[in-house]
Amino acid sequence: MLQVSNLLVQLPTGKRLVNDVSFSVGRGEFVSILGCSGAGKSLTLRCVVGLTRPTSGEIRLTDPRGKSYRTTSVGAKELRRARRHIGLIFQGSNLVKRLTVLENVMLGRLGHIHPLRSWLLGFTDAEARQAMEALDRVNMASCAARLAGSLSGGEMQRVSIARAIYQRPLIYLADEPISSLDPRNAEAIMSILQPLSRETPVIGAFHQPAVVARYCTRVIGVRAGQLVYDGSAQLSSRQLERIYGDANSETFAEETAAQPLLFEPGLQPALHPSLSSGVPV
Amino acid sequence: MGTEIPLLEWRQGRAAHRRRRAVAALLLVVLTLLSAWRCNVDFHSFATGIGKGVSLLELFFPPEWSGVSEMLQPIAVTTVIALIATLLGMCLSLPCALAASSNIAPRPLRLAMRSFIALERGLPEIVQMLLLVAIFGLGVIPGLIALSFSSIGMLAKLLADAIEEIEPHMLEAVEATGATRSQVIRYAVIPQILPALLANGLFRFEFNVRAGVILGAVGAGGIGFIMMTAMNSMNYQRACMATLLTLVLVFVSERVSDSFRARILDGGALR
Repeated sequence: MLQVSNLLVQLPTGKRLVNDVSFSVGRGEFVSILGCSGAGKSLTLRCVVGLTRPTSGEIRLTDPRGKSYRTTSVGAKELRRARRHIGLIFQGSNLVKRLTVLENVMLGRLGHIHPLRSWLLGFTDAEARQAMEALDRVNMASCAARLAGSLSGGEMQRVSIARAIYQRPLIYLADEPISSLDPRNAEAIMSILQPLSRETPVIGAFHQPAVVARYCTRVIGVRAGQLVYDGSAQLSSRQLERIYGDANSETFAEETAAQPLLFEPGLQPALHPSLSSGVPV
Repeated sequence: MGTEIPLLEWRQGRAAHRRRRAVAALLLVVLTLLSAWRCNVDFHSFATGIGKGVSLLELFFPPEWSGVSEMLQPIAVTTVIALIATLLGMCLSLPCALAASSNIAPRPLRLAMRSFIALERGLPEIVQMLLLVAIFGLGVIPGLIALSFSSIGMLAKLLADAIEEIEPHMLEAVEATGATRSQVIRYAVIPQILPALLANGLFRFEFNVRAGVILGAVGAGGIGFIMMTAMNSMNYQRACMATLLTLVLVFVSERVSDSFRARILDGGALR
Protein backbone atom coordinates (compact mmCIF):
# COMPACT_ATOMS: atom_id res chain seq x y z
CA MET A 1 0.00 0.00 0.00
CA LEU A 2 1.16 3.50 -0.85
CA GLN A 3 0.50 6.37 1.49
CA VAL A 4 1.25 9.97 0.51
CA SER A 5 0.80 12.46 3.32
CA ASN A 6 0.89 16.27 3.13
CA LEU A 7 3.19 16.33 0.12
CA LEU A 8 4.57 19.80 -0.56
CA VAL A 9 6.91 20.88 -3.36
CA GLN A 10 7.87 24.52 -3.16
CA LEU A 11 10.22 26.51 -5.36
CA PRO A 12 12.71 28.87 -3.73
CA THR A 13 10.47 31.67 -5.05
CA GLY A 14 7.70 30.42 -2.76
CA LYS A 15 5.53 29.04 -5.55
CA ARG A 16 3.91 25.76 -4.53
CA LEU A 17 3.89 23.23 -7.35
CA VAL A 18 2.39 20.49 -5.20
CA ASN A 19 0.42 21.86 -2.30
CA ASP A 20 -0.44 19.63 0.66
CA VAL A 21 -1.49 16.57 -1.32
CA SER A 22 -2.49 13.42 0.60
CA PHE A 23 -3.93 10.16 -0.66
CA SER A 24 -3.41 6.45 -0.31
CA VAL A 25 -3.62 3.64 -2.81
CA GLY A 26 -4.37 0.06 -1.82
CA ARG A 27 -4.94 -3.42 -3.22
CA GLY A 28 -6.81 -3.84 -6.49
CA GLU A 29 -6.91 -0.18 -7.33
CA PHE A 30 -6.18 1.39 -10.72
CA VAL A 31 -5.90 5.08 -9.85
CA SER A 32 -5.66 7.86 -12.39
CA ILE A 33 -4.37 11.32 -11.60
CA LEU A 34 -6.06 13.87 -13.82
CA GLY A 35 -5.24 17.54 -14.25
CA CYS A 36 -3.97 20.14 -16.68
CA SER A 37 -0.34 20.15 -17.81
CA GLY A 38 1.61 21.73 -14.99
CA ALA A 39 -0.98 20.89 -12.33
CA GLY A 40 1.51 18.70 -10.48
CA LYS A 41 0.66 15.18 -11.69
CA SER A 42 4.08 14.15 -12.90
CA LEU A 43 5.79 15.96 -10.06
CA THR A 44 3.75 13.98 -7.52
CA LEU A 45 4.76 10.72 -9.19
CA ARG A 46 8.40 11.84 -9.35
CA CYS A 47 8.29 12.50 -5.62
CA VAL A 48 6.95 9.00 -5.02
CA VAL A 49 10.05 7.43 -6.63
CA GLY A 50 12.32 10.06 -5.12
CA LEU A 51 13.46 11.53 -8.45
CA THR A 52 12.39 14.90 -7.06
CA ARG A 53 12.79 15.61 -3.36
CA PRO A 54 9.69 17.24 -1.92
CA THR A 55 9.99 20.23 0.39
CA SER A 56 8.02 18.36 3.05
CA GLY A 57 5.57 15.52 3.46
CA GLU A 58 5.91 11.79 3.75
CA ILE A 59 5.64 8.96 1.27
CA ARG A 60 5.46 5.44 2.64
CA LEU A 61 5.17 2.12 0.87
CA THR A 62 4.12 -0.92 2.90
CA ASP A 63 4.43 -4.54 1.79
CA PRO A 64 1.89 -7.26 2.74
CA ARG A 65 4.09 -8.42 5.62
CA GLY A 66 3.98 -4.94 7.12
CA LYS A 67 7.53 -3.88 6.27
CA SER A 68 7.56 -0.27 5.13
CA TYR A 69 9.79 1.79 2.89
CA ARG A 70 10.04 5.57 2.63
CA THR A 71 11.21 7.66 -0.29
CA THR A 72 11.11 10.96 1.58
CA SER A 73 13.82 12.23 3.93
CA VAL A 74 15.95 9.10 3.59
CA GLY A 75 19.58 8.56 2.60
CA ALA A 76 20.66 7.36 -0.81
CA LYS A 77 20.95 3.74 0.26
CA GLU A 78 17.49 3.56 1.80
CA LEU A 79 16.03 5.37 -1.19
CA ARG A 80 17.51 2.76 -3.50
CA ARG A 81 16.04 0.01 -1.34
CA ALA A 82 12.59 1.61 -1.59
CA ARG A 83 12.90 2.11 -5.33
CA ARG A 84 13.31 -1.63 -5.90
CA HIS A 85 9.66 -1.95 -4.98
CA ILE A 86 8.31 0.77 -7.26
CA GLY A 87 7.77 -0.09 -10.92
CA LEU A 88 8.05 3.10 -12.93
CA ILE A 89 6.60 3.41 -16.43
CA PHE A 90 7.57 6.70 -18.10
CA GLN A 91 6.00 8.25 -21.12
CA GLY A 92 7.92 7.54 -24.30
CA SER A 93 11.64 7.43 -24.61
CA ASN A 94 12.90 6.00 -21.36
CA LEU A 95 14.48 2.85 -22.75
CA VAL A 96 18.24 2.65 -23.25
CA LYS A 97 18.20 2.74 -27.04
CA ARG A 98 21.53 1.01 -27.59
CA LEU A 99 20.64 -2.02 -25.46
CA THR A 100 18.44 -4.86 -26.67
CA VAL A 101 14.82 -5.16 -25.63
CA LEU A 102 15.64 -8.08 -23.33
CA GLU A 103 18.51 -6.22 -21.67
CA ASN A 104 16.25 -3.24 -21.10
CA VAL A 105 13.75 -5.48 -19.29
CA MET A 106 16.52 -6.96 -17.15
CA LEU A 107 17.47 -3.47 -15.98
CA GLY A 108 14.29 -3.65 -13.89
CA ARG A 109 16.01 -5.58 -11.13
CA LEU A 110 19.33 -3.71 -11.03
CA GLY A 111 18.46 -2.63 -7.49
CA HIS A 112 18.76 -6.28 -6.39
CA ILE A 113 22.11 -6.84 -8.10
CA HIS A 114 25.48 -5.98 -6.61
CA PRO A 115 27.27 -3.37 -8.77
CA LEU A 116 30.36 -5.56 -8.89
CA ARG A 117 28.36 -8.32 -10.52
CA SER A 118 26.98 -5.80 -13.05
CA TRP A 119 30.49 -4.91 -14.11
CA LEU A 120 32.10 -8.35 -14.03
CA LEU A 121 29.48 -10.93 -14.95
CA GLY A 122 26.30 -9.24 -16.12
CA PHE A 123 22.91 -10.92 -15.97
CA THR A 124 22.24 -14.61 -15.30
CA ASP A 125 20.29 -17.16 -17.34
CA ALA A 126 17.55 -17.26 -14.71
CA GLU A 127 17.15 -13.50 -14.97
CA ALA A 128 16.94 -13.69 -18.75
CA ARG A 129 14.25 -16.38 -18.51
CA GLN A 130 12.12 -14.32 -16.12
CA ALA A 131 12.59 -11.22 -18.26
CA MET A 132 11.38 -13.19 -21.28
CA GLU A 133 8.25 -14.18 -19.35
CA ALA A 134 7.60 -10.50 -18.59
CA LEU A 135 8.06 -9.64 -22.26
CA ASP A 136 5.66 -12.41 -23.16
CA ARG A 137 2.98 -10.85 -20.95
CA VAL A 138 3.07 -7.70 -23.08
CA ASN A 139 3.34 -9.68 -26.34
CA MET A 140 6.84 -8.50 -27.12
CA ALA A 141 8.81 -11.75 -26.73
CA SER A 142 9.46 -11.94 -30.47
CA CYS A 143 11.32 -8.59 -30.35
CA ALA A 144 13.64 -9.57 -27.49
CA ALA A 145 16.85 -9.41 -29.53
CA ARG A 146 16.14 -6.10 -31.27
CA LEU A 147 17.76 -2.84 -30.20
CA ALA A 148 15.32 -0.77 -28.18
CA GLY A 149 15.98 2.24 -30.40
CA SER A 150 14.47 0.45 -33.38
CA LEU A 151 11.02 0.02 -31.78
CA SER A 152 7.92 2.11 -32.42
CA GLY A 153 6.44 4.27 -29.66
CA GLY A 154 3.77 1.74 -28.72
CA GLU A 155 6.29 -1.10 -28.64
CA MET A 156 8.68 0.92 -26.44
CA GLN A 157 5.85 1.61 -24.03
CA ARG A 158 5.07 -2.11 -23.80
CA VAL A 159 8.73 -2.94 -23.17
CA SER A 160 8.85 -0.38 -20.42
CA ILE A 161 5.81 -2.05 -18.85
CA ALA A 162 7.58 -5.40 -19.15
CA ARG A 163 10.55 -3.92 -17.31
CA ALA A 164 8.24 -2.84 -14.49
CA ILE A 165 6.54 -6.27 -14.41
CA TYR A 166 9.92 -8.02 -14.24
CA GLN A 167 10.80 -5.79 -11.31
CA ARG A 168 7.92 -7.37 -9.30
CA PRO A 169 7.13 -4.11 -7.49
CA LEU A 170 4.63 -3.35 -4.73
CA ILE A 171 3.09 -0.62 -6.88
CA TYR A 172 3.24 0.52 -10.51
CA LEU A 173 3.62 4.21 -11.32
CA ALA A 174 2.82 5.25 -14.88
CA ASP A 175 3.63 8.80 -15.92
CA GLU A 176 1.42 9.57 -18.92
CA PRO A 177 1.91 6.11 -20.42
CA ILE A 178 -0.47 6.73 -23.33
CA SER A 179 0.04 10.44 -24.05
CA SER A 180 2.24 9.97 -27.09
CA LEU A 181 0.30 7.03 -28.54
CA ASP A 182 -2.48 6.73 -31.08
CA PRO A 183 -5.90 5.59 -29.77
CA ARG A 184 -5.42 1.93 -30.70
CA ASN A 185 -2.03 1.67 -29.02
CA ALA A 186 -3.41 3.58 -26.05
CA GLU A 187 -6.20 1.00 -25.67
CA ALA A 188 -3.64 -1.79 -25.93
CA ILE A 189 -1.55 -0.28 -23.12
CA MET A 190 -4.62 0.27 -20.91
CA SER A 191 -5.74 -3.32 -21.40
CA ILE A 192 -2.30 -4.48 -20.24
CA LEU A 193 -2.33 -2.19 -17.20
CA GLN A 194 -5.87 -3.05 -16.09
CA PRO A 195 -5.31 -6.77 -15.33
CA LEU A 196 -1.95 -5.86 -13.74
CA SER A 197 -3.75 -3.59 -11.31
CA ARG A 198 -5.75 -6.53 -9.91
CA GLU A 199 -2.51 -8.06 -8.58
CA THR A 200 -0.56 -4.89 -7.83
CA PRO A 201 -2.04 -1.40 -7.58
CA VAL A 202 -1.37 0.96 -10.50
CA ILE A 203 -1.30 4.72 -10.23
CA GLY A 204 -0.93 6.75 -13.39
CA ALA A 205 -1.15 10.26 -14.77
CA PHE A 206 -3.49 10.61 -17.74
CA HIS A 207 -4.99 13.23 -20.00
CA GLN A 208 -7.96 11.23 -21.33
CA PRO A 209 -10.97 11.26 -18.94
CA ALA A 210 -13.00 9.04 -21.30
CA VAL A 211 -10.36 6.31 -21.43
CA VAL A 212 -9.80 6.62 -17.69
CA ALA A 213 -13.53 6.18 -17.02
CA ARG A 214 -13.48 2.84 -18.81
CA TYR A 215 -10.38 1.32 -17.22
CA CYS A 216 -9.65 2.94 -13.86
CA THR A 217 -11.28 2.32 -10.51
CA ARG A 218 -10.64 5.77 -9.10
CA VAL A 219 -9.65 9.30 -10.06
CA ILE A 220 -7.55 11.82 -8.18
CA GLY A 221 -7.95 15.32 -9.58
CA VAL A 222 -5.26 17.94 -9.11
CA ARG A 223 -5.40 21.58 -10.06
CA ALA A 224 -2.59 24.10 -9.52
CA GLY A 225 -0.88 21.69 -7.15
CA GLN A 226 -3.94 21.03 -5.01
CA LEU A 227 -6.07 17.95 -4.68
CA VAL A 228 -9.54 18.92 -5.87
CA TYR A 229 -11.21 15.56 -6.43
CA ASP A 230 -10.82 12.01 -5.10
CA GLY A 231 -13.46 9.47 -6.02
CA SER A 232 -15.13 7.44 -8.72
CA ALA A 233 -13.61 7.30 -12.21
CA GLN A 234 -16.97 8.25 -13.71
CA LEU A 235 -16.78 12.04 -13.70
CA SER A 236 -19.71 14.37 -14.23
CA SER A 237 -19.17 17.46 -16.37
CA ARG A 238 -19.18 19.61 -13.22
CA GLN A 239 -16.46 17.49 -11.67
CA LEU A 240 -14.45 17.69 -14.90
CA GLU A 241 -14.72 21.45 -14.86
CA ARG A 242 -13.55 21.45 -11.25
CA ILE A 243 -10.38 19.65 -12.30
CA TYR A 244 -9.67 21.26 -15.66
CA GLY A 245 -11.38 24.63 -15.21
CA ASP A 246 -13.28 26.45 -17.90
CA ALA A 247 -11.10 26.63 -21.02
CA ASN A 248 -12.41 30.12 -21.76
CA SER A 249 -11.71 31.60 -18.36
CA GLU A 250 -8.67 33.71 -17.59
CA THR A 251 -7.39 31.55 -14.77
CA PHE A 252 -7.16 28.64 -17.21
CA ALA A 253 -4.76 30.56 -19.43
CA GLU A 254 -2.72 31.57 -16.41
CA GLU A 255 -2.49 28.08 -14.95
CA THR A 256 -1.44 26.39 -18.16
CA ALA A 257 1.03 29.14 -19.01
CA ALA A 258 2.75 28.64 -15.67
CA GLN A 259 3.87 25.11 -16.51
CA PRO A 260 6.82 24.31 -14.27
CA LEU A 261 9.68 22.52 -15.94
CA LEU A 262 10.70 19.30 -14.29
CA PHE A 263 14.29 20.48 -14.31
CA GLU A 264 13.55 23.95 -13.03
CA PRO A 265 16.33 25.37 -10.87
CA GLY A 266 15.51 24.74 -7.26
CA LEU A 267 14.09 21.30 -8.00
CA GLN A 268 16.78 18.73 -7.76
CA PRO A 269 17.44 17.35 -11.23
CA ALA A 270 17.82 13.82 -12.47
CA LEU A 271 20.80 12.12 -10.96
CA HIS A 272 21.79 14.67 -8.41
CA PRO A 273 19.87 13.78 -5.26
CA SER A 274 21.58 10.43 -4.93
CA LEU A 275 24.87 11.68 -6.34
CA SER A 276 25.35 14.56 -3.96
CA SER A 277 24.60 12.24 -1.06
CA GLY A 278 27.58 10.07 -1.91
CA VAL A 279 26.36 6.89 -3.56
CA PRO A 280 29.20 4.38 -3.61
CA VAL A 281 30.47 3.97 -7.15
CA MET B 1 -3.99 44.00 -44.97
CA GLY B 2 -2.69 42.17 -41.91
CA THR B 3 0.15 40.52 -43.86
CA GLU B 4 1.64 43.75 -45.30
CA ILE B 5 3.49 44.90 -42.21
CA PRO B 6 5.14 41.55 -41.35
CA LEU B 7 6.22 41.26 -44.99
CA LEU B 8 7.71 44.73 -44.90
CA GLU B 9 9.60 43.85 -41.76
CA TRP B 10 10.88 40.67 -43.35
CA ARG B 11 12.12 42.63 -46.36
CA GLN B 12 13.90 45.12 -44.11
CA GLY B 13 15.54 42.21 -42.26
CA ARG B 14 16.73 40.77 -45.55
CA ALA B 15 18.19 44.10 -46.63
CA ALA B 16 20.07 44.40 -43.32
CA HIS B 17 21.36 40.87 -43.73
CA ARG B 18 22.70 41.64 -47.22
CA ARG B 19 24.38 44.81 -45.97
CA ARG B 20 26.12 42.88 -43.20
CA ARG B 21 27.41 40.31 -45.66
CA ALA B 22 28.80 42.99 -48.02
CA VAL B 23 30.61 44.71 -45.14
CA ALA B 24 32.08 41.39 -43.97
CA ALA B 25 33.39 40.57 -47.48
CA LEU B 26 34.95 44.00 -47.86
CA LEU B 27 36.57 43.75 -44.44
CA LEU B 28 38.08 40.37 -45.35
CA VAL B 29 39.72 41.74 -48.51
CA VAL B 30 41.09 44.82 -46.73
CA LEU B 31 42.49 42.75 -43.86
CA THR B 32 44.21 40.34 -46.26
CA LEU B 33 45.91 43.14 -48.21
CA LEU B 34 46.81 44.97 -45.01
CA SER B 35 48.47 41.95 -43.43
CA ALA B 36 50.31 41.10 -46.67
CA TRP B 37 51.71 44.65 -46.71
CA ARG B 38 52.55 44.61 -42.99
CA CYS B 39 54.41 41.27 -43.26
CA ASN B 40 56.44 42.47 -46.26
CA VAL B 41 55.20 39.70 -48.51
CA ASP B 42 57.61 39.77 -51.43
CA PHE B 43 55.77 38.72 -54.56
CA HIS B 44 59.00 38.75 -56.54
CA SER B 45 60.73 36.06 -54.45
CA PHE B 46 57.50 34.11 -54.62
CA ALA B 47 57.89 33.90 -58.40
CA THR B 48 61.60 33.02 -58.36
CA GLY B 49 61.02 30.49 -55.56
CA ILE B 50 58.63 28.54 -57.76
CA GLY B 51 61.33 28.27 -60.44
CA LYS B 52 63.86 27.02 -57.88
CA GLY B 53 61.32 24.57 -56.50
CA VAL B 54 60.81 22.94 -59.86
CA SER B 55 64.53 22.33 -60.35
CA LEU B 56 64.80 21.03 -56.76
CA LEU B 57 61.90 18.68 -57.45
CA GLU B 58 63.98 17.02 -60.16
CA LEU B 59 66.50 15.98 -57.51
CA PHE B 60 63.77 13.93 -55.80
CA PHE B 61 63.32 11.60 -58.75
CA PRO B 62 63.62 8.75 -59.21
CA PRO B 63 62.80 7.64 -55.64
CA GLU B 64 65.33 5.37 -54.01
CA TRP B 65 63.43 2.10 -54.47
CA SER B 66 66.14 0.08 -52.76
CA GLY B 67 65.40 1.93 -49.52
CA VAL B 68 61.98 0.27 -49.14
CA SER B 69 63.22 -2.80 -47.31
CA GLU B 70 64.95 -0.84 -44.55
CA MET B 71 62.03 1.61 -44.28
CA LEU B 72 59.45 -1.08 -43.54
CA GLN B 73 60.52 -1.32 -39.92
CA PRO B 74 60.23 2.46 -39.27
CA ILE B 75 56.81 2.40 -40.98
CA ALA B 76 55.78 -0.35 -38.59
CA VAL B 77 57.09 1.68 -35.63
CA THR B 78 55.01 4.71 -36.63
CA THR B 79 51.91 2.54 -37.10
CA VAL B 80 52.34 0.78 -33.76
CA ILE B 81 52.90 4.08 -31.92
CA ALA B 82 49.69 5.46 -33.44
CA LEU B 83 47.77 2.29 -32.62
CA ILE B 84 48.89 2.04 -29.00
CA ALA B 85 48.36 5.77 -28.41
CA THR B 86 44.83 5.48 -29.81
CA LEU B 87 43.96 2.44 -27.70
CA LEU B 88 45.37 4.02 -24.54
CA GLY B 89 43.55 7.23 -25.37
CA MET B 90 40.24 5.43 -25.86
CA CYS B 91 40.52 3.48 -22.61
CA LEU B 92 41.62 6.40 -20.46
CA SER B 93 39.34 9.00 -22.04
CA LEU B 94 36.24 7.14 -20.82
CA PRO B 95 36.77 7.77 -17.07
CA CYS B 96 37.94 11.31 -17.86
CA ALA B 97 34.79 11.96 -19.91
CA LEU B 98 32.56 10.60 -17.13
CA ALA B 99 34.28 12.88 -14.63
CA ALA B 100 33.87 15.84 -16.99
CA SER B 101 30.14 15.57 -17.70
CA SER B 102 27.58 17.60 -15.81
CA ASN B 103 24.93 14.87 -15.62
CA ILE B 104 27.26 12.33 -13.99
CA ALA B 105 29.98 14.02 -11.98
CA PRO B 106 29.61 16.43 -9.06
CA ARG B 107 30.51 20.02 -9.89
CA PRO B 108 34.02 20.29 -8.34
CA LEU B 109 35.20 17.10 -10.05
CA ARG B 110 33.71 18.20 -13.34
CA LEU B 111 35.39 21.61 -13.21
CA ALA B 112 38.75 20.07 -12.33
CA MET B 113 38.50 17.56 -15.17
CA ARG B 114 37.29 20.15 -17.69
CA SER B 115 40.22 22.42 -16.88
CA PHE B 116 42.67 19.52 -17.12
CA ILE B 117 41.30 18.69 -20.57
CA ALA B 118 41.43 22.33 -21.67
CA LEU B 119 45.02 22.64 -20.45
CA GLU B 120 46.01 19.44 -22.20
CA ARG B 121 44.36 20.54 -25.44
CA GLY B 122 46.05 23.91 -25.19
CA LEU B 123 49.47 22.30 -25.67
CA PRO B 124 50.10 21.03 -29.23
CA GLU B 125 51.48 17.48 -29.48
CA ILE B 126 54.83 18.76 -30.65
CA VAL B 127 55.24 20.99 -27.57
CA GLN B 128 54.33 18.08 -25.30
CA MET B 129 56.78 15.93 -27.22
CA LEU B 130 59.63 18.42 -26.74
CA LEU B 131 58.89 18.65 -23.01
CA LEU B 132 58.84 14.86 -22.76
CA VAL B 133 62.09 14.54 -24.69
CA ALA B 134 63.68 16.67 -21.98
CA ILE B 135 62.51 14.07 -19.44
CA PHE B 136 62.87 10.72 -21.23
CA GLY B 137 65.42 11.57 -23.90
CA LEU B 138 64.95 10.88 -27.59
CA GLY B 139 63.04 7.80 -28.67
CA VAL B 140 59.68 6.15 -29.06
CA ILE B 141 58.52 6.65 -25.45
CA PRO B 142 58.09 10.47 -25.43
CA GLY B 143 56.28 10.29 -28.78
CA LEU B 144 53.96 7.59 -27.52
CA ILE B 145 53.17 9.49 -24.33
CA ALA B 146 52.57 12.78 -26.15
CA LEU B 147 50.20 11.14 -28.63
CA SER B 148 48.37 9.21 -25.88
CA PHE B 149 47.85 12.34 -23.86
CA SER B 150 46.50 14.37 -26.72
CA SER B 151 44.26 11.45 -27.71
CA ILE B 152 42.84 11.43 -24.18
CA GLY B 153 42.29 15.18 -24.35
CA MET B 154 40.39 15.13 -27.61
CA LEU B 155 38.36 11.96 -27.00
CA ALA B 156 37.44 12.95 -23.43
CA LYS B 157 36.10 16.28 -24.62
CA LEU B 158 34.02 14.75 -27.41
CA LEU B 159 32.76 11.93 -25.19
CA ALA B 160 31.85 14.26 -22.33
CA ASP B 161 29.70 16.21 -24.77
CA ALA B 162 28.11 12.97 -25.97
CA ILE B 163 27.38 11.96 -22.37
CA GLU B 164 25.78 15.31 -21.60
CA GLU B 165 23.49 14.85 -24.59
CA ILE B 166 21.98 11.62 -23.25
CA GLU B 167 18.30 12.18 -22.52
CA PRO B 168 17.86 12.66 -18.76
CA HIS B 169 14.77 10.45 -18.77
CA MET B 170 16.84 7.52 -19.95
CA LEU B 171 19.18 7.83 -16.96
CA GLU B 172 16.33 8.48 -14.54
CA ALA B 173 14.47 5.40 -15.68
CA VAL B 174 17.44 3.19 -14.83
CA GLU B 175 18.06 5.06 -11.59
CA ALA B 176 14.42 4.66 -10.59
CA THR B 177 14.80 0.87 -10.43
CA GLY B 178 17.12 1.34 -7.46
CA ALA B 179 20.32 1.11 -9.47
CA THR B 180 23.52 2.67 -8.15
CA ARG B 181 25.36 5.36 -10.04
CA SER B 182 27.92 2.87 -11.30
CA GLN B 183 25.12 0.67 -12.63
CA VAL B 184 23.58 3.65 -14.41
CA ILE B 185 26.98 4.22 -16.03
CA ARG B 186 27.35 0.56 -16.93
CA TYR B 187 23.88 0.06 -18.44
CA ALA B 188 22.78 3.47 -19.70
CA VAL B 189 25.78 5.75 -20.27
CA ILE B 190 28.31 3.35 -21.77
CA PRO B 191 25.98 1.63 -24.25
CA GLN B 192 24.76 5.02 -25.44
CA ILE B 193 28.21 6.52 -26.03
CA LEU B 194 30.01 3.41 -27.30
CA PRO B 195 29.39 4.29 -30.97
CA ALA B 196 30.79 7.78 -30.38
CA LEU B 197 33.82 6.33 -28.62
CA LEU B 198 34.59 3.91 -31.45
CA ALA B 199 33.92 6.34 -34.31
CA ASN B 200 35.97 9.13 -32.76
CA GLY B 201 38.68 6.67 -31.78
CA LEU B 202 39.03 5.64 -35.42
CA PHE B 203 39.28 9.27 -36.48
CA ARG B 204 41.89 9.76 -33.83
CA PHE B 205 43.84 6.78 -35.20
CA GLU B 206 44.12 8.45 -38.62
CA PHE B 207 45.21 11.64 -36.94
CA ASN B 208 47.75 9.81 -34.77
CA VAL B 209 49.37 8.22 -37.83
CA ARG B 210 49.94 11.64 -39.38
CA ALA B 211 50.97 13.27 -36.10
CA GLY B 212 53.28 10.30 -35.45
CA VAL B 213 55.20 11.10 -38.64
CA ILE B 214 55.70 14.69 -37.48
CA LEU B 215 56.74 13.65 -33.97
CA GLY B 216 59.14 11.20 -35.58
CA ALA B 217 60.89 14.10 -37.23
CA VAL B 218 61.58 15.68 -33.84
CA GLY B 219 62.97 12.48 -32.40
CA ALA B 220 60.25 9.90 -31.83
CA GLY B 221 61.71 7.55 -34.43
CA GLY B 222 59.71 5.87 -37.17
CA ILE B 223 59.33 7.02 -40.75
CA GLY B 224 59.34 10.70 -39.79
CA PHE B 225 62.87 10.36 -38.45
CA ILE B 226 64.05 8.66 -41.67
CA MET B 227 62.58 11.50 -43.67
CA MET B 228 64.23 14.10 -41.48
CA THR B 229 67.71 12.57 -41.66
CA ALA B 230 67.40 12.07 -45.42
CA MET B 231 66.46 15.71 -45.93
CA ASN B 232 69.25 16.95 -43.64
CA SER B 233 71.86 14.93 -45.51
CA MET B 234 70.35 16.18 -48.82
CA ASN B 235 69.59 12.63 -49.86
CA TYR B 236 66.46 13.76 -51.68
CA GLN B 237 65.72 10.52 -53.52
CA ARG B 238 65.64 8.70 -50.21
CA ALA B 239 63.35 11.39 -48.76
CA CYS B 240 61.10 10.93 -51.76
CA MET B 241 60.80 7.22 -51.04
CA ALA B 242 59.96 7.94 -47.41
CA THR B 243 57.30 10.43 -48.54
CA LEU B 244 55.72 7.85 -50.85
CA LEU B 245 55.63 5.27 -48.07
CA THR B 246 54.10 7.83 -45.69
CA LEU B 247 51.40 8.53 -48.26
CA VAL B 248 50.64 4.83 -48.56
CA LEU B 249 50.53 4.47 -44.76
CA VAL B 250 48.15 7.40 -44.30
CA PHE B 251 45.97 6.27 -47.17
CA VAL B 252 45.70 2.70 -45.89
CA SER B 253 44.97 3.80 -42.32
CA GLU B 254 42.17 6.04 -43.57
CA ARG B 255 40.64 3.26 -45.65
CA VAL B 256 40.76 0.84 -42.73
CA SER B 257 39.23 3.30 -40.29
CA ASP B 258 36.55 4.32 -42.82
CA SER B 259 35.42 0.75 -43.32
CA PHE B 260 35.25 0.13 -39.57
CA ARG B 261 33.34 3.34 -39.04
CA ALA B 262 30.80 2.46 -41.72
CA ARG B 263 30.19 -0.84 -39.95
CA ILE B 264 29.68 0.91 -36.60
CA LEU B 265 27.21 3.40 -38.02
CA ASP B 266 25.25 0.53 -39.53
CA GLY B 267 24.55 -0.47 -35.96
CA GLY B 268 26.14 -3.90 -36.16
CA ALA B 269 29.10 -4.98 -34.01
CA LEU B 270 27.80 -2.93 -31.14
CA ARG B 271 26.91 -5.41 -28.48
